[in-house]
Amino acid sequence: MTLLDFHMNNSRLIKCFEQGLGVSADQVTDSLAYNSIKQWDSVAHMVLVAAIETEFDIMMDTDDILAMSSVAVARQILQKYGIVFE
Amino acid sequence: MSYSKVDIRTWSILGSRGTFGVALTDAARSNPGIIALSADLCNTSGLDRFRNAYPTRFINTGIAEQNMLGVAAGLAATGFVPFATTFANFAALRSCEQVRHYLGYMQENVKLVGFGAGFAMGMFGVTHFALEDIAALRSISNLTIISPADGMEIVKATNTIAVTRGPVYLRLTGVMNAPIVYKEDYDFTIGKAITLREGDAVAIVATGSMVHPSLKAAEILATQGIMAQVVNVHTIKPLDTAAVDQLLNHRLVVTVEEHSIMGGLGTSIAEHVAQKRGFPPLLRIGVAQGYPHVGHYQHMLEVSGLTAPKIAGRIRLALDDTVGLSHE
Repeated sequence: MTLLDFHMNNSRLIKCFEQGLGVSADQVTDSLAYNSIKQWDSVAHMVLVAAIETEFDIMMDTDDILAMSSVAVARQILQKYGIVFE
Repeated sequence: MSYSKVDIRTWSILGSRGTFGVALTDAARSNPGIIALSADLCNTSGLDRFRNAYPTRFINTGIAEQNMLGVAAGLAATGFVPFATTFANFAALRSCEQVRHYLGYMQENVKLVGFGAGFAMGMFGVTHFALEDIAALRSISNLTIISPADGMEIVKATNTIAVTRGPVYLRLTGVMNAPIVYKEDYDFTIGKAITLREGDAVAIVATGSMVHPSLKAAEILATQGIMAQVVNVHTIKPLDTAAVDQLLNHRLVVTVEEHSIMGGLGTSIAEHVAQKRGFPPLLRIGVAQGYPHVGHYQHMLEVSGLTAPKIAGRIRLALDDTVGLSHE
């Protein structure tokens, strides 16, 4: 795994948030959290999960779907699926 | 229309209620006549986004399903397209007389949406299971009954009934993280069954949540050298009798539904083929008479014999011995 991979994974994750929530890349910070903006509602959360699953070719457990409450937490959860960010 | 992998997976995760809510919100954007009514189930029914987007087009009637049908009929009579939503047992059983009068007799353009049909309400128990809703509503004249197989079919059905005049009961089965039947776009037409898999020995005719396990059962049977056709009957009424007539040359016809063995899809097909010469034996798989002890959704399917291995097993037994084809 190279530094480039880490950066690429981060870019891919940001793209998922852009796609799932309909926000711009500069809004996707670690502190962005569920229900903290109008766009991140319960439906958008599922769109986000589907976007992440499709992008990283994984299938998330239900517990992880429910626990994914912010960008920072999403990064931690994805590490369980072998996706490394740092 | 093309749907992305993300769309399809999103509908799967959302399950039938969430997907319906998304589809109705999208449909309402281009159709200002659409009104959503809820008998106090807004968030539970996936309609929170609809309510936020169109607060003046969302009506919560409270826990008063029969009254909700009256309000819906009044809206329909003045040109609106009301979608009246509640749990399927309350839609079909508690409100049965209102459905008969307003949707059947008066033919008001009301779309009645039954959530959590079958065992989807799981631990809520027997009072919330809807195992007799098709039986109760199928005999009501002028009412179309649609039971989609997965998220894409829910989206297509919702869009179609929104622009098709006439009363409809949309029966939504299954829970969140639902299996995907359709991975790409296809033609959905009310009243036209769809063959999903070809096979010459057995024909499995399924509806709603039972389409996916029927496809899996066909895969199991194929490993035993038994080739099964699988037909998705998304419209239970009117029944696609032409499609049923095409099944004449199979050794066995099987119906699979998350509904009582009495009065549903299997009964509908039995009524039709009773007049036919030379129709093969009919095995009806559904929920036996009685009130099963409550449990989680998957458990309820398991104890009712509605999983792929159990469906395949029943079919194998029926092929071996065509006596005693139903389990009433």
